[in-house]
Amino acid sequence: MTEPPKEPIKYFGTTVCLPYYYVAGDYKARYLRALKDKKILGSKCSKTGKVLVPPLVNSPESFAPATEFVEVADRGVITTFCIVNIPVIGRNLEIPYVAASVALDGADLSIFALIHECKLEEVRMGMRVEAVWKPDGEREGSYEDILYFRPTGEPDAPQESYIHRL
Amino acid sequence: MKRPVAVVGVGQTHHTSRRSDVNIAGLVREAVDRALADAGLEYKDIEAVIVGKAPDMLEGVMQPEQFLIGALGAHMKPMLRVHTAGSVGASTALTGVTHVASGLYDRVLTIAFEKQSEGNVMWVTSPNMPFTAPLVAGAGGYFAPYCRAYIKRTGCPPHIGPITAVNARANAGRNEYAHLREPVTLEDVMNSPVLWDPIRYLETCPSSDGAIALVIASEEQAKRGPRKPAWVKSGYSYAEAMWVPGRDQVSPLAGRVCAKAVYGKAGITNPWKEIHTAEIYVPFAWFEAMWLENLGFCDEGEGWKIIDRGEQKFGAHLPINPSGGVLCTNPIGASGMLRLGEAALQVMGRAGAHQVEGAKTALGHAYGGGAQYFAMWIVSSEL
Amino acid sequence: MTTLRNVAIVGFAQLPTVARDLHRTSTEMLYPVVRQALAECGVERDAIDYQIAGSVDYMDGRPFGFVAALDAMGSWPPRQDLHLEMDAAFCAYYAWLRMQAGDCDTALVVGHGKTSEGDPNRVFNLQLDPYYQAVIGLDPTSTAALQASAYMARTGATDRDLAVVAARNRTAGARNPQNQVREAVNTEDLLRTPWAVEPLRAGYLPPIGESATCMILAAQGKAEKLCDHPIWIHGVDHRAELQTLGARDLSRSASARLAGEKACAMAGLRNASDVDVAELHAVTPVEELILCEALGLSPKGSRPAINPSGGTLCGNPIMSTGLIRMGEVFRQLSGRADGGAGARRGLAHAAQGHCLQQNIVWILGSERRWA
Repeated sequence: MTEPPKEPIKYFGTTVCLPYYYVAGDYKARYLRALKDKKILGSKCSKTGKVLVPPLVNSPESFAPATEFVEVADRGVITTFCIVNIPVIGRNLEIPYVAASVALDGADLSIFALIHECKLEEVRMGMRVEAVWKPDGEREGSYEDILYFRPTGEPDAPQESYIHRL
Repeated sequence: MKRPVAVVGVGQTHHTSRRSDVNIAGLVREAVDRALADAGLEYKDIEAVIVGKAPDMLEGVMQPEQFLIGALGAHMKPMLRVHTAGSVGASTALTGVTHVASGLYDRVLTIAFEKQSEGNVMWVTSPNMPFTAPLVAGAGGYFAPYCRAYIKRTGCPPHIGPITAVNARANAGRNEYAHLREPVTLEDVMNSPVLWDPIRYLETCPSSDGAIALVIASEEQAKRGPRKPAWVKSGYSYAEAMWVPGRDQVSPLAGRVCAKAVYGKAGITNPWKEIHTAEIYVPFAWFEAMWLENLGFCDEGEGWKIIDRGEQKFGAHLPINPSGGVLCTNPIGASGMLRLGEAALQVMGRAGAHQVEGAKTALGHAYGGGAQYFAMWIVSSEL
Repeated sequence: MTTLRNVAIVGFAQLPTVARDLHRTSTEMLYPVVRQALAECGVERDAIDYQIAGSVDYMDGRPFGFVAALDAMGSWPPRQDLHLEMDAAFCAYYAWLRMQAGDCDTALVVGHGKTSEGDPNRVFNLQLDPYYQAVIGLDPTSTAALQASAYMARTGATDRDLAVVAARNRTAGARNPQNQVREAVNTEDLLRTPWAVEPLRAGYLPPIGESATCMILAAQGKAEKLCDHPIWIHGVDHRAELQTLGARDLSRSASARLAGEKACAMAGLRNASDVDVAELHAVTPVEELILCEALGLSPKGSRPAINPSGGTLCGNPIMSTGLIRMGEVFRQLSGRADGGAGARRGLAHAAQGHCLQQNIVWILGSERRWA
């Protein structure tokens, strides 16, 4: 730049580019590796026996350690959901999509998951769903190993069973 | 609180989508200048500065309070920076209250701001948490499922969210500082696109640049004037863990506990009767019904009925968000302090066109995180 | 000076500082230290009234990074809580202030963050104002080097003077199992380390490291029940200066000086040098020399003993470093550390920002300050 700008500078753009190398932690790593074998793991609170999915080092409810790992089912119930219509920078999910809170059978916490293979209007609280996994040989031990959840066709779970298990 | 504490000055900017006429320092300076002028004080009278704002990624500057020391008049003073997600503006004000209540400070400045037009809000509020599927799309994407759960639990009819939005805009029309001030009709809202079902575009808060500053002071300072102060009768901030099995995110326990503490300390036993107006943190219209219940203004399941009956409108029994609230103005870091500051303006009798007549006791409320952080205060015109 | 409420440090736990904890996330590192601090005090989480955490989003590499810490701190049922985007030593200040206001009697103060996940030299560039200073690419090592140059120009301090300070810290640090760096090294070897950013050699700078810390504070009446040998807070003050590097005398720390004066005044101490031990949050030997000058401590470091822990050079888990300085004085005064017998009063310092921009000074003692 050899000459001063004609107009006073109002804005300048700065791209912030920071690399981060995150540690998954042993618990998360074990959970992710198990996905390769189509297993979903939780950790059990040593005090209350409640199963936390994904596994947590301690139960925040009891403040006791949760050291025992247990397997939960890869199916469960939609406790609540929303239909997303907004794109986010850096993501290539096709909108609209359904993001749902799914309480897997055997788990005392819900996970957030994509719902596919059904019409948007058909998604409802209480709907029974099952995981659709990446085919054998393609799973790598990452959260992408579960492609999405789809309805199982089972009868809906009664409201009392999920309304307070969001 | 060991001794009485009062709000003696309030200053805010005219909130808008993009303040292209000032940089970050200019934005905060505007609010601080106004608050000091309001309090009849100068920079040198302030003994400590407490800054609150939401994630620094919103402006791309880490701990910006550090470069703002000069603009805030904080050189060689104690300075703290608070960050409690969406509730930060409120917890910052409460931090100021503790400073004065301790007896060690007589006049402190609290400032909360966000110049989020300079970053990318959707990106910041849709964090790609490591090793987790990136599904949450914005704050609305996180909260929409719980709004749905509220609707299902209570049988809340579909027009309640829209009525709330219409009312908020009508209120904002009376607040010169609000960002979105044009009225909207029920049809406008119901025809607006659905962003995260069930939340519609016109039921969603805007993204705003803005700042608010409060001067918080001792009884002795407050009695010097020039204005009638707002006495802080009580203030608490609570937080709860996220992954508690069965945690109620529709009516979080931390909110109920915080409200109980704030009412108890202020000697309020019947909030519906004893509180004249409330500024509560409603970023998505459905939360107004949810918070009315969580805050104990009515029984569980009855919150939407208050809105249906219009009892929370300006001029009605308990005007909610007479300023227009977060639905009409949302500089994320500032919003919590805007709620508490607007509550203070009400009992000071200084809310101008959106003054609730005869407001002597007001509640200011904010929340943040996955509905985990709650910060509130009760202010009164009487010591 | 008015009479204040006597508040004490009654417990302190930290993970030994390591380059990178490969097994735990930032908040997973926090859980065991919270449990340990509570166990040391012989209480459950419910016994503590207040909790406050220090961490920074940009270090966590995610917005709202601190929210996950709630789960590791025992935030159920809901707790009175705050989070500061600051080193945990400033969180301790606010907890102390709340006790002065009568709003709590006990407090849990934690610091967390995994320095290894990001690149601090790049992250801390963003701490500078975005208009004039960040844009020219200044990183914290360079700004520290600017300060070093200014100090050496004014005082005539030499490279060897810096090496002597670093060697003393390294020798002391070798005895402290909490440190990341635990080998003594002599002045000559330090002088042979390459320049990081001249005039600062690599040997004068701490490595990247991380930890998690938890301190428990309690007011008189409660403190004695939680700890056999509480260490009482006699005085405290903190100050911040303008950030702009050209707007202040980088060769001095005016804010550390003022904070020191005020803290000593509150403590009824005529000179900071009257303490037996001082722990300074000095990331470079120049910072240590500047702080000695500001606080009136002899840079020889023997009376008072400066950084018997080995100081920040031997371990700099950012966000916890300042709290560790307080924790180390607590250890020294309560006889929990190697050496330090007979120490009755100590000074703990913590800092934030480039070139000692913001400083907090604590005066601590074995006896209560106020009757």
